[in-house]
Amino acid sequence: MTATAPAIRARPAPTAAQARRRRLLVRVGLHLLLALGAVTMIVPFVWMLLTSVKSPAELASFPPTFWPDEWVWSNYSGAMQAAPFATYFRNSLIIATGHTLITLLFGSLAGYALARIPFRGRELLFLGFIAMLMIPTYTKIVPQFLIVRFMPLSGGNDLFGQGGSGWLNTWWALLIPGGLSPFAIFLFRQFYLSLPRELEEAARIDGLGELRIWAQIYTPLIKPAVATVALLTFQESWNNFLWPLLVTTRDELRVIQVGLAVFQQQENTAWHHLMAGTTLATVPMVLLFLLAQRYFIQGFTQAGIK
Amino acid sequence: MVAPAVAHAAIWIAVPVLATLVLSFTDYRVFAAPRWIGFGNYVEIWHDQVFRKATWNTVVYTFFTVPFSMGIAVVVAVLLNQKLRLRTAYRAAFFLPQVTATVAIAMVWLRIYNPQFGPLNGVLSFFGVPGRAWLADPDWALWSVIVVGVWQGIGLKMLIYLAALQNVDENLYEAAAIDGASPVRQFFAITLPMLKPATFFVFVVSIIGAFQVFDLVYVLTDGGPANATTMMTYEVYRSAFQDFRMGMACAQSVVLFAFLLFLTIVNRRLTRSDEK
Repeated sequence: MTATAPAIRARPAPTAAQARRRRLLVRVGLHLLLALGAVTMIVPFVWMLLTSVKSPAELASFPPTFWPDEWVWSNYSGAMQAAPFATYFRNSLIIATGHTLITLLFGSLAGYALARIPFRGRELLFLGFIAMLMIPTYTKIVPQFLIVRFMPLSGGNDLFGQGGSGWLNTWWALLIPGGLSPFAIFLFRQFYLSLPRELEEAARIDGLGELRIWAQIYTPLIKPAVATVALLTFQESWNNFLWPLLVTTRDELRVIQVGLAVFQQQENTAWHHLMAGTTLATVPMVLLFLLAQRYFIQGFTQAGIK
Repeated sequence: MVAPAVAHAAIWIAVPVLATLVLSFTDYRVFAAPRWIGFGNYVEIWHDQVFRKATWNTVVYTFFTVPFSMGIAVVVAVLLNQKLRLRTAYRAAFFLPQVTATVAIAMVWLRIYNPQFGPLNGVLSFFGVPGRAWLADPDWALWSVIVVGVWQGIGLKMLIYLAALQNVDENLYEAAAIDGASPVRQFFAITLPMLKPATFFVFVVSIIGAFQVFDLVYVLTDGGPANATTMMTYEVYRSAFQDFRMGMACAQSVVLFAFLLFLTIVNRRLTRSDEK
């Protein structure tokens, strides 16, 4: 092969026209390849949308049609009647928003303290958070469930957590345990660390308290970072499945991912309703991603590289 | 200022981790107090054919999804790492499965794999290839799940590779081009070696993710047919929330954790020796 041989032998220099044609061919090939890949990624989503507006009769034909014969938008209202998808959707929205607010407040406070306030044991504490960052979900999920189940003085439980159902089937169970992740704290710390030191020194000389330095000086400077953490938290919370599955059994509290799974198990032939529900569960994240792509990409890259 | 975060992490992470370890040595069925049984759960796990099957499935799932999606991701990243029209659009397309819920994605694939009405069998029949019940066939179910895992896993890996490519020195390529190295040869001689640290990192992160696959299996196959797609996480879930054997579930999750720890350490060793 010529490629492996040392390139001592000079190749005949290509004419300018040849070189241009070659470049063009490479370009076209590149685009074809990438487009093929991109289509493979997107087709399932398009398929979901198209399936969600087909009639049950059309969905029961083989081979399946790609483009709907008629667009049955009433599948969406039908799905909402078949299962409380509107409630599920609202619950997901409340919980994702709640998680985001809790994370932004307490995560940034902790991140600020770990980055900016010297105190004894700070490094150790930070190492602790890093260690907890590495803990896989399944190493803590059973006791987490037990703590929720035996939460004292709630859900009919006595002081020792006996007699009732604790936080099961409550907003508390959905909001509190997953409200703050060590990962958000870690990200915030990195962002606060990247800011110059002179600011806080000046502020401290002016007699500002730490809370005010955090709120008025440093946090406004990391607005893009705040947006990144907010989006990642919202997305993670919206897509979460296992935890809400474990702690809720009632329709009023189910989030959309769990509602979807339950609906699929109960009505596994109602594909038109199922795909309408799936679209409802997917579209908010797709829109959010397309609107704020820059922050998502930044966030996931930072999350990835650490 | 850090107190609320510390309290939260202590209650919801530190205590649960320790509790998992302690409870793994007990027989605990929620409605009666835990009973200390030493290594009883672990002995049972060792002889449990279903858990062995789950472990094997998890390993197969991981070591097929991770390398395949990494391979695709690195190629896509390299192709995207240049001035290109539609670059952001391509990147968004590859990343889309990463931001959408696995449960929702699994629903769509459930339809795609549907033996009676699914588009996959539809396309196959067009080419005269007989379709099959992908997710209900013990020989095919795990592979069908793996395909979805690969498809979904490309985006994040591509992104990390894209970031790593920013640090590769352009001069290397120019020098190689002057020496007459073809783009393919440049890819193998420059790009891949330069991406080695990123590759190790992606590998560890992806393995940890793949070992914890759950949502996909829950929706697509419920662990079936005949445990053909059950995973370690799925067995933890079954023990704890279907059989209400909390002690057993904890022991199983300790085994899962041990696997992850082992793989991470092995990987770190490999990276270290490589750097020397």
